[in-house]
Amino acid sequence: MRVLTHCLSFGKPRSLIGLWLGLSGLLAAIALLSLLYGAGDVGPARAWQALQDLGAAASYDSEAHFVIAELRAPRLWIGLVVGAALGIAGALLQAVTRNPLAEPGLLGVSAGAAFAVTLAILWGADTATLRVSVAQLGALGGCLCVLAAARLQGIGSDPIRLILAGAILSGLLHSLSSLILLYDQHTADEIRFWVVGSLAGRQLDDLVPLFPTLGVATLLTILLARPLAALALGEHVAIGLGHHPRVVRLLVIVVVALLVGGATAAAGPIAFVGLVVPFAARALAGPDIRRTLWLCLPLGPIVVVSADIVSRLVVPPSELPLGVLTALIGAPVLIGVVRGRRLPTL
Amino acid sequence: MTSPADTPNAVRQDKYYLALPLGQRSPLRVIVDKRNLLANLLLLGLLILLAGASLNIGSAASLSLPATLRALLGDGSPLDTFVIQELRLPRVIAGIVTGGAFALAGCLMQTVARNRLATPGIVGLDNGATAFAVASVVGTGISLAPPAMALTGAAVAAALTFGLTGRIGVRGYRFLVAGIGVGAVFGALTQLMLTRVSIDAANAAYPWTVGSLNARPDHAVLSLSLALPPALLAGIWLTRSLTVLRLSDAVAISLGIAAGRCRMAALSVAVILTGLAVAVAGPVGMVALIGPEFARQLSAKNTVPVVGATLAGAVVMVAADLLGRMLLAPIEIPVGIVTALIGSPLLLWILLNPNARTAP
Repeated sequence: MRVLTHCLSFGKPRSLIGLWLGLSGLLAAIALLSLLYGAGDVGPARAWQALQDLGAAASYDSEAHFVIAELRAPRLWIGLVVGAALGIAGALLQAVTRNPLAEPGLLGVSAGAAFAVTLAILWGADTATLRVSVAQLGALGGCLCVLAAARLQGIGSDPIRLILAGAILSGLLHSLSSLILLYDQHTADEIRFWVVGSLAGRQLDDLVPLFPTLGVATLLTILLARPLAALALGEHVAIGLGHHPRVVRLLVIVVVALLVGGATAAAGPIAFVGLVVPFAARALAGPDIRRTLWLCLPLGPIVVVSADIVSRLVVPPSELPLGVLTALIGAPVLIGVVRGRRLPTL
Repeated sequence: MTSPADTPNAVRQDKYYLALPLGQRSPLRVIVDKRNLLANLLLLGLLILLAGASLNIGSAASLSLPATLRALLGDGSPLDTFVIQELRLPRVIAGIVTGGAFALAGCLMQTVARNRLATPGIVGLDNGATAFAVASVVGTGISLAPPAMALTGAAVAAALTFGLTGRIGVRGYRFLVAGIGVGAVFGALTQLMLTRVSIDAANAAYPWTVGSLNARPDHAVLSLSLALPPALLAGIWLTRSLTVLRLSDAVAISLGIAAGRCRMAALSVAVILTGLAVAVAGPVGMVALIGPEFARQLSAKNTVPVVGATLAGAVVMVAADLLGRMLLAPIEIPVGIVTALIGSPLLLWILLNPNARTAP
């Protein structure tokens, strides 16, 4: 227990705890809304009644019960997991590249995962476990490509060029995926609803294969938080404090790949969450990575679940893909950051 | 005293430039760069060759050269005549005009932004035009013809991107990331519209989302063909000013060039061409990068290769379309995907090569 508090010690405990509790309360309220509102016939009042009857064996509204338990609850759970994973992955990637714009969707990590899954389905894979590991491997490939680019002379110091390279890499991988979909109709049918990024039609079973790798990622994140905070002070300081920058960077990349690959396997490529969430977290909690990570935990699900609610309510009875909404929220944030007088350095 | 033959003009005329008389007895001369002339002739030859190949080769039947010629002139067998005149010729023409338009727009915009990476596709114009064109096709209340809507979309996206840059200017990489953001918004809007409508309307709008020469609405091709020659003339007319503008605003203004007006004119031409070309073929934005790059390699280093870029864009487009039809023979790869597969590595190379210059 002492190790845990040591690893996760935050600078100003009281203010952070207050913020965290407030955001968690907000998240709980949004989660409740996500159960109450939907595109179908079951309105908020019926859903509320059904939720209250849940414990009692009294004659409950079976339709509302079905809608909540089988349709809305799985979406909520997947939204929570995906949001937290993407938010934390964004914060980690931004810390390790020291680039406030580094976002898994923009840097080609999600696109790598999506491309790997497309390839795997083309070659006949369709079990959920395989899909998760394949997506994580693809995400790792995307990560390594971008990091290799960042290592090139003159790029590492320029965050904007790194983002451009990532965006172009994403475009290239996207074209390759489209080419495969065009070539193979079977793959296209299987993947069409996955490739736009959405929480619709997911079951709780889709979530189960994620847990082992997400557990590993959580553990690694806890262990890496302090070294990352030291690394933010500069390479020499980190070495002086007894950390190994190369090992830390490599491990962070693995964690990002696990998180983004898992989230992509569950919900498809969703862009801009990894940009918006750490951005908001830093604005609330300051630049310390440990505090940022704590706040990303409730903020990521808040963004994803509320975007999911909006996607259900805007055009009933049909739904918007989640990726569309996150892009509409995230792109203005991107433009705002880029337009700033000076890029905030990490 | 120096004789007329010793003046700098005469010397340069010998080595690098050619003075073509405008008329039989006219004292006026048009000064042409020899290397550019050679490059343009080469590109024109390549274009004719590729267009011929594109007419010849196809999944229905690969005709022999004489048969193609006969069909083109209208006295081949009825089947051949139909295939050539109704299917392949309009496709080749659409490829030439869209490729030329995209590349000319790209060349102008790169010069205005003084940045090789600043093509209309990257700064969001393609996506804006696509969003508006899709809006008109799926009929969300606004039912202007697709070309007009695509034009409006390109203008809106350009206004947004250039308006939003403000303080950060257009020269650096930040401008491009802002453009990517604008493009992402319009891309999301396109997706939004496609999910809202019935599957038939979505299928009708599909070519606009990947970039293909399959749909090529006739009136869109016609309006683009009418707009391209004046735009090319305007580009040629702007060449001299743009060449000076590449140096710096101070130099340009001291040489008597209205820098702001010139930039605005070039940008307007680029917006019009991009909008109309998207209405024909969808967002094939990479041609706007590959075409001018190709032309710049061939042309003289100190000029803005306006004509060369147009020809090179047409060459790239026709070649990519031909490649897309041939590679996976019964299936056709949309030209947008082919050009993206060629263009993205080129773009990455320009971006990541530490020795590459970003100024065009």
